[in-house]
Amino acid sequence: MDNSNVIRIALAGNPNCGKTSLFNALTGAHQKVGNFSGVTVEKHEGYLDYKGYRITVVDLPGIYSLTPYSPEEIVTREYLIKEPPDVVVNVLEGPNLERNLLLTTQLMELEIDFLVALNMMDEVEEKGIVIEIKQLQQLLGCHIIPTSAKKNTGLDALLDHIIRVAQKKITIRKNKLFFRPELELSVDKITALLLHQKELKNYNPRWLAIKLLENDRAVYHEVQQYPVWLKIELALQEALREAEQLHDSEPEILITEDRHAFIRGAMKECVRQTSAIKATATDYIDMVVLNRVLGLPIFLLVVWAIFQLTFTLGSPIMDGLQLLFDTMASTVEPLLPNETLRSIIIDGIIAGVGGVLVFLPNIVLLFIGLSFLEASGYMARAAFVIDRVMHRFGLHGKSFIPMITGFGCSIPAIMATRTLKSRTDRLVTIMIIPFMSCGAKLPVYVLLTAAFFPPDVAANVMFGIYLLGVIVGLWTALILKKTVMKSDSEPFVMELPPYRWPTFSSVFFQAKIKALMYLKKAGTLILGAVLIIWAVSNYPHNHVLDAQFAAETARIEQSGASDTQRQALTHALDLRIKSEQLEYSIAGRIGKVLEPVIKPLGFDWKIGIALVTGLAAKEVVVSTLGTIYSIGQSNDTDVELKSILRNDPSFSQATALSLMVFVLLYIPCVAAIGVMKKEVGHWKPVVLYSIYSLSVAWILSFIVYRIALLML
Amino acid sequence: MRLSELKVGEKAEVEAVKAVGAVRRRIMDMGLIKGTEFQVIRVAPLGDPVEIAFKGLYLALRKNEADGIFVTTMSDVTAK
Repeated sequence: MDNSNVIRIALAGNPNCGKTSLFNALTGAHQKVGNFSGVTVEKHEGYLDYKGYRITVVDLPGIYSLTPYSPEEIVTREYLIKEPPDVVVNVLEGPNLERNLLLTTQLMELEIDFLVALNMMDEVEEKGIVIEIKQLQQLLGCHIIPTSAKKNTGLDALLDHIIRVAQKKITIRKNKLFFRPELELSVDKITALLLHQKELKNYNPRWLAIKLLENDRAVYHEVQQYPVWLKIELALQEALREAEQLHDSEPEILITEDRHAFIRGAMKECVRQTSAIKATATDYIDMVVLNRVLGLPIFLLVVWAIFQLTFTLGSPIMDGLQLLFDTMASTVEPLLPNETLRSIIIDGIIAGVGGVLVFLPNIVLLFIGLSFLEASGYMARAAFVIDRVMHRFGLHGKSFIPMITGFGCSIPAIMATRTLKSRTDRLVTIMIIPFMSCGAKLPVYVLLTAAFFPPDVAANVMFGIYLLGVIVGLWTALILKKTVMKSDSEPFVMELPPYRWPTFSSVFFQAKIKALMYLKKAGTLILGAVLIIWAVSNYPHNHVLDAQFAAETARIEQSGASDTQRQALTHALDLRIKSEQLEYSIAGRIGKVLEPVIKPLGFDWKIGIALVTGLAAKEVVVSTLGTIYSIGQSNDTDVELKSILRNDPSFSQATALSLMVFVLLYIPCVAAIGVMKKEVGHWKPVVLYSIYSLSVAWILSFIVYRIALLML
Repeated sequence: MRLSELKVGEKAEVEAVKAVGAVRRRIMDMGLIKGTEFQVIRVAPLGDPVEIAFKGLYLALRKNEADGIFVTTMSDVTAK
């Protein structure tokens, strides 16, 4: 397509203004998702072809204001200034116009080409609100197109307008919003000073001046580098003194007040409520949902439902996937005569890819649930209900759902922290999630409690382990918040948006995005790590053992024993050789090297090997123990392994407890590490975290082991 | 009087926002500025945060944050 026929537009607007629905309605299936450069804020892009034009659409994050406080706000501002699209479409939530207009006034200040899509017009009419669009256009100095993304109306008019603006067929007047006279004087003075600094000519000087008066950190930083700063600083001090003397206030506050005064005026002139304001459905729902008595039980019910949706509904799908990969492996097996190649393909590649894909059902289901909660308006209420508890540990109410999801699986849980706006809150929540004991650790507990504790005690032991995880997690949060991550906790000033029935597309869009993100970003990393662990536990290969295996197999064949006897003997031999091969491999050697370090916890090198291979996935600890103790992969593996462990002199109740604590707390599996890295953005915090969790695991296992030795 | 001292159902007007930094910015961006009239709708089941309503917006804030917002109750406003 000809370059002149490509138009770049960006959608900007508040959260809950229907921006994503509009994005979906415009771009349909032509979407892709990435990150804004350098930050973990998602960037949704799409395109459509309309009347011979290719219109590319960027859906900017939902924000209330262009201040540089949240990453979303910073990203949006940077984008609008550094890579200005041809046309910005400011999406407004029609029924809640007043609050939405703050962002509009800030776009006016940027003096960029923008159009207003006055969205949710269907709801505006339903509520008996009349908006004088012509008058509002006059005041804002930009074109306003009424739309309803939900009902698919007004989209063509919007697109036609976009094309006309992009082709400069209509010019946008760009009204200025004027502040009170004394502020305007300061703005003018600073603007004049800024014009002398040619390095800053890429910026709009009036906008810079306003931002400086507003104490905007990012703009301060930019301007401070230049000599003109000395004069500007004096002007700013003067403005500050003046605001203090005249209004007992600050320029920053006065500017915001003037913006709101402008909006107030516009609302008075252009918006009328024709019918009486009735209590809305939202009011009635909240009477129940946020009720002092019912609020908490309803919240817990919702969390329970999300958990069930993700894991109970997800597990048969996961089993299906597992079966698919097993079938694939068994189909391929006879086709591969070379044993090394067979091992690479089946135990390495197929198992690795399966290991990545197996999390997909959980991720998709969780995000269907979460985006339903988010789009319907309940997510904010959930945070409202539980914030008191979370705040006590320095966390935000919104951290609760990701944290609980961690009991199922850390991978979707870590991804779910995206609902948190503040970076520190996200980081802290991500760091505590792996301590919530995930489903893959359960087989380890089941094996060990069943082997070493009578059934009536086993349940209590298991409960204790889960509880320990929660305590360590919350304690970690507290420590992190009090030390390295003190700064910038997300202020809890949160809109409780009106309840809305989410559109089908917006719910599935999120699930699709998260799935693609996971596969693209984390998938390769996880696959690589799984392959490494496979290689580590298979190489180097001991050929002496192979020869021994061949010789003994031949001996069994010739022994003249019956078929069943021969089979049993070969099987036992096979297991023994496998066990010895594992011992010979790098993993086995690591296990042995580790022995002195883990000896104080009651572990020998065999457990050391299991802990190394367990990094691939925690349930692997069980199968590795099975291999080391030469147990075949049959249905009664557990029973056999149980009795072997029970009779092993190096194992005791104390060892079992110590091992469970260690498995609960030590480094998360490679899949979780991979997702963590992708969500955090750097390796450093992930590495530090791994060292931390390893130390905590060691210390607590040591304490538990020593106490248990004394008591049991 | 501070916003955090209001009871459920009370109406008041904002006098001044005395918070600092990101908190103040956020509060003001949501439209809670000098002169804004609002009503306290409810307190969360566990006693914190509180929900207030103004200009068709429902806003939840922690008592911590509400502490920095100074208000005059509506009865006092009419008395003046």
